[in-house]
Amino acid sequence: MPVFKFPFHGYSVKFSPFIETRLAVATAQNFGIIGNGRQLVLDLTPGGMVSPVGFDTSDSAYDCAWSESNENLLASATGDGSIKLWDVASSSLLVNLHEHTREAHSIDWNPTRKDSFLSASWDDTLKLWAEGRMQSIRTFREHSYCVYSAAWNPRHPDVFASASGDCTMRVWDVREPNSTMIIPAHEGEILTCDWNKYNDCVIASGAVDNSIKVWDVRSYRAPIAVLMGHRYAVRRVKFSPHSEGMIASCSYDMTVCAWEYRAEDALVARYDHHTEFALGVDMSVLVEGLLASTSWDQAVYVWQHGTDPRAS
Amino acid sequence: MATDSSAPGLGNEKAGTPGVEPSKPTGDYENGANVGATNENGGKSVFVNSEPMREDQVQNAIKFLSHPKVQGSPVVFRRSFLERKGLTKEEIDEAFRRVPDPPSNASTTQVATSTQEGQLQSALTVQPQPPVHTLQPAAVTTMTVPTPQKSGFQWSHIALAVGLFAASGACTGLLFKNAVVPRLKSWIRKVVSEEDELEKKDQLKPRPIDEAAAAAKAAAAAAAEVARASQEMLHAKNEEGKYFEAFTKLLEVQVEEMKTMRNTICNLEGIRENPRVLDQQISKQFHSESGRPLSAPASIQPAGGAPHSQQFMDVMAMVQRGEKPPGIREINDKVPNATQPLTNSRLVPKSKPWEDTSRVQPSSIYISQTETKVVDSPASGQGAYYANGSATQTQYRQPLRNGTPMAEQQWWKQKPEPNPSYSFNPDRGANVTITEAEPENDGLQTQHSWAPSKESLPRRAWVPPPPPPVAMPEAADAIRRPRSSGWVEGAGDERSTSSLGIGVEQDGPSETGVLGSVKYDNSEVYGGTSAVDEDGSGKGLDTIVPLETEAQ
Repeated sequence: MPVFKFPFHGYSVKFSPFIETRLAVATAQNFGIIGNGRQLVLDLTPGGMVSPVGFDTSDSAYDCAWSESNENLLASATGDGSIKLWDVASSSLLVNLHEHTREAHSIDWNPTRKDSFLSASWDDTLKLWAEGRMQSIRTFREHSYCVYSAAWNPRHPDVFASASGDCTMRVWDVREPNSTMIIPAHEGEILTCDWNKYNDCVIASGAVDNSIKVWDVRSYRAPIAVLMGHRYAVRRVKFSPHSEGMIASCSYDMTVCAWEYRAEDALVARYDHHTEFALGVDMSVLVEGLLASTSWDQAVYVWQHGTDPRAS
Repeated sequence: MATDSSAPGLGNEKAGTPGVEPSKPTGDYENGANVGATNENGGKSVFVNSEPMREDQVQNAIKFLSHPKVQGSPVVFRRSFLERKGLTKEEIDEAFRRVPDPPSNASTTQVATSTQEGQLQSALTVQPQPPVHTLQPAAVTTMTVPTPQKSGFQWSHIALAVGLFAASGACTGLLFKNAVVPRLKSWIRKVVSEEDELEKKDQLKPRPIDEAAAAAKAAAAAAAEVARASQEMLHAKNEEGKYFEAFTKLLEVQVEEMKTMRNTICNLEGIRENPRVLDQQISKQFHSESGRPLSAPASIQPAGGAPHSQQFMDVMAMVQRGEKPPGIREINDKVPNATQPLTNSRLVPKSKPWEDTSRVQPSSIYISQTETKVVDSPASGQGAYYANGSATQTQYRQPLRNGTPMAEQQWWKQKPEPNPSYSFNPDRGANVTITEAEPENDGLQTQHSWAPSKESLPRRAWVPPPPPPVAMPEAADAIRRPRSSGWVEGAGDERSTSSLGIGVEQDGPSETGVLGSVKYDNSEVYGGTSAVDEDGSGKGLDTIVPLETEAQ
């Protein structure tokens, strides 16, 4: 059974970069409006999915990220602005990093440097953290509204992008004091962004205008592709780690879609297994074609692209 | 692309190799860090806006910034608006420089400084100031208008009163003089001519008395006039006061109207889809602490009119009423043990599929190297690690890999069958609505295919590189050396481990003692050097090696 049900509402799912059968799910009580959170760790077994470890948080957990340097280290972004680092092997909370003054909404671990990560928050800032440090290294303060998402460039260890509710997507370089590019990507709030793993100048953004736009930062005045098909806001986009043109996205229209942005007819697949807003989607780096998604319907599904998520 | 890569990076102080094609494969993972450095220097130019400043955009921005209503808005909103319109940072700064507005200039210098800590606070303080500024001049101007009138009134009244008093005083004085002097005279005459007829005195008396009476009457009348005049003055003062109050009330109404107009301008410019977000913006400005629903942005209150479930609406209603939904526990999520170490990693970071772009492996290669790595997977008990490396273009058309029972049990690896015919059904029924790519080769280009078509770059096989020779024997020794560094757990060693390839990895699992247990201290672990900055050689972590050691 590639489905796992849990008592809270799912916000984010991430595959482990070390263990191909492990994933983390960030969940929140009461739709994340108010209440506790729970950070789950799931394992895929031939009999289905099991949860060997779960961590309770006092506020909602909005996002999680696996460390790229240690398979036991897991980070959660929670609703009181704190970022919690968990040791999965010993089931304990290692560090509580509390600097954001509002909800921490997104975490991204640097896949190249492996020792640092970014957090994006509703307090309009992003913060750069490093393993071993109790304080943030840098704070990036330029957006004029909530920052929803941060994404490291997969080939340039110091470059990252941020998506914000002020309708701009910014490209930053940690060596520069300010953002290096401002892309007014959408007319509405931009909820997510992700870099192409095989073309380091291509980035995709998803927004509340139901569209996904794919940009080349070298000529960012116009997108190179606009992917329409979602009926409501696009909550998350993810470029495939195995295929240059493939994008997975999830949306408030309760579907998970797969796209090939270079093709004429870009929509490749639409999975409608969820019965509530789909908030998290991830593609495994270790197992090609493996997708996971989670939703407010209190479930997480793991399936191979091209198969039915609800099939046993 | 060639021109872009050859364009010099803006502010690129590092004398790297310009013109490096950023789309070039980065080569082996071991050199990834070094190549990354050079790529960064050349690639840095890619992530920077290298367009020249567009004068027409700057002019539009100046027109926008010169608008009186815009000048009442906070600087942050003005910048945000211009950024949304596609202006670059240079164009925005230039426009701010050219618009002659002293308050906004002062705020602009605040905004333009790097590492803008407290920009929010400054923005917030800038926010109430412009309205106050605009209020004050208006108030001053209106104040000065009635006061001259008032003082004019006052002065005229005072002058009138003074004049009247003087006149009446003079009159009375004169009259009294006229009355007293004759009286004196008559009295003297009376005294002198006392022995004269008393009838003359009697005859003389009524006249001064009459005159005195008349003078007194006149004085009284003058006093009464003065009193009336002063009363009138008081009246006028009251009326003036009333007028002034009415005036201020009108002013306040005007100010309120201006405020709402300003807000609507900002909101219209924001072109927000969801009116709920407008409230969130305004409430966010004033930092309402009354809970998430009021200030939650589009990610909690989904914009675009996505319908919410009844459960969601119930929770929202409950919270907005101020009630707490049931089931919320008090959870202590403090760190229980501040010095608890992170469990040692037994796995080595694997190279990412996209970092291996230089290789296109044939499909039949199984990854022998991965089998040597210990995988803590409960499913694959024997550690057999099936390679999904046969990721060629035709892979998805291969039959299910069901050669062994293990493969069948690993359902997450089972590829879809070829030629499934599912209909694309937009209705959310119980049907499986999956559109599958046509497996025919010819249709690959035009049809949607999540596998790249033949013309595209070849499918990358997820194959770790073959073990390179041990390039740095000293690093191999370093790994074997006991490390008592911080809780980072020698991630720098991981990198060098992986860069050295398999030769060292085999020792990995058994070297828990070698790597040492790590601590995550609450104190500042690093000696001040950041692990992330420095050069782009990727060796940042190695700088953190000298840490305090602790007895195990």
